[in-house]
Amino acid sequence: MKKGCLIFAHNNRDIDYAKLALLSGSLAKKNLNVPVSLVTDQSTVDWMTESKIIDRANNTFEHIIVIDRPKTDNQRILHDGFEKKVIPFVNSSRSNAYDLSPYDKTLLIDSDFLIFSNRLNQYWDTAESVKLAPAANDINSTDRLGYHDKFISDTGIHLYWATTVMFNKDLYSKLFFDLVETIKSNYKYFADLYMFNPKQYRNDIAFSIAKHILSGFQTDTLNSLPSLLTVIDKDILYSVDGKKLTFLISAMKAELQIATAIQDTDVHIMNKQSIIRNFDNLMELV
Amino acid sequence: MNFGYLLVVSTHKDFNYLKMAYALAMSIKNTQKEGYDQVALVIDDKSGLDNFNSPWVFDHVIEWNQETFWDGRSWMDKLTPFDHTVCLDVDMLFLRDYSHWIDYFTENTELYVANKSYTYRDELVTSNAYRETFTKNKLPNLYSFYTFFKKDSNLANEFFELGRQIIKNPIEFKNLFLSNFRPQVVGTDEAFALSAKLLDISDQISYPLEFPRVSHMKPMVQNWPWPANSVTDHVGFYLNKRAELKIGNYQQHNICHYVDKNLITDEWINILEEVLWKK
Repeated sequence: MKKGCLIFAHNNRDIDYAKLALLSGSLAKKNLNVPVSLVTDQSTVDWMTESKIIDRANNTFEHIIVIDRPKTDNQRILHDGFEKKVIPFVNSSRSNAYDLSPYDKTLLIDSDFLIFSNRLNQYWDTAESVKLAPAANDINSTDRLGYHDKFISDTGIHLYWATTVMFNKDLYSKLFFDLVETIKSNYKYFADLYMFNPKQYRNDIAFSIAKHILSGFQTDTLNSLPSLLTVIDKDILYSVDGKKLTFLISAMKAELQIATAIQDTDVHIMNKQSIIRNFDNLMELV
Repeated sequence: MNFGYLLVVSTHKDFNYLKMAYALAMSIKNTQKEGYDQVALVIDDKSGLDNFNSPWVFDHVIEWNQETFWDGRSWMDKLTPFDHTVCLDVDMLFLRDYSHWIDYFTENTELYVANKSYTYRDELVTSNAYRETFTKNKLPNLYSFYTFFKKDSNLANEFFELGRQIIKNPIEFKNLFLSNFRPQVVGTDEAFALSAKLLDISDQISYPLEFPRVSHMKPMVQNWPWPANSVTDHVGFYLNKRAELKIGNYQQHNICHYVDKNLITDEWINILEEVLWKK
């Protein structure tokens, strides 16, 4: 049974997802000791060549799987500390992970999820075919995440996070990803049925509905991956000093920032620009 | 073992409690194992039973009119025809087989009162809404909607006797024991909790268990991000032809305490009857 990690990256004009994927892939490879593959598109590969990271990418990724760039009119607001910008969001190809993965057991991660421990290795050999992160834990300990980071709508179902997904190649997983594809293709119908805002396609929501349906229309947070230590995009990765990552954490209502540091801990850093700014130092950890 | 469920109703000008009891009795018959599905009805006027197609779902009908409305439930120990009884609120539905828990209760306890409830999303209710009497007066968090007791148990007799005294003398007990937060009405929940506290038996009759799991459909405890007057204003209740219940997008397996006294329509009664007749 071959285990491996899979990362999707489709660049847009603001975020170099390929660079993020190179970092997160390198960290996953080092700390989990498993091969890593990248799913991307030709324009992103061209940019990797132009920006001279293609050689490192070829050394890091066991496979670089090139697919058609997904069409999207998805947009989202992305913060970088106190700054914010509306950017296009190309995220609709992850429902193909089952078909695209070259591994029997796959850990699918977002490119802004950085693995600094081997903790996730404990989850490969469990009875559950598909495992998601059941919750995001705010690095600030006081919970700055919103209600819709916990439920898909006011009265709706539990929100799982598709930032980390582990799945086996089996019938159940096939069913799960087919269901995600159906939800994605009929997003407005499911938005009506599950009473959430369909304005932006979110993998978290599509994966949550599929998980909910296949769990007998119930929440199942027991058979899950660990919750995600999350640094929201209003926070800034300030420095990388040896293994220590220092963040400036934004307070709830004031323009104050608090310094917080972590080490040897897997972390979901939603401020992608601040990862890019610290790219070289972070690559030192690889 | 002589076990059964006890339902106590009385005539009410606005709500048809007998219809709710009929729906609950059918749901018990539809889901519980034989021997665990006996139902006794206490009612002030049994002529209303003539309106039902299957009044036989009530194995015992006891006509009794000494108390009205919910006060009657405090007499459960005197009214039950069973050796072991679970007294239920009638605005509930059974949705799967819970019989194995009855074996646990009969073997291990003489009195057990529910002490937690869940949302329709199966989250443990932690909200203080509707429960300030309990928290501010440091009462045990008891819910009378599911009360197991053994007949002729001294523990149960003392508990129910004091509960009746509290319900009969609410002003005195409020002044003496509920002064940190005075409820408008001392209902069965408050009376049971105060009785348990005064007798110092809370740990004996309400220790932590995974059952009963009751989804309590009071609107302010559903962990919604805004206040609500009614659950049915915001999520649908869907009973399918097999009498399986969904609330919103959630399949229900807990006992459903639906609270909304107008929920049981003739259509729901028909569904429950059809399942009953096919069983």
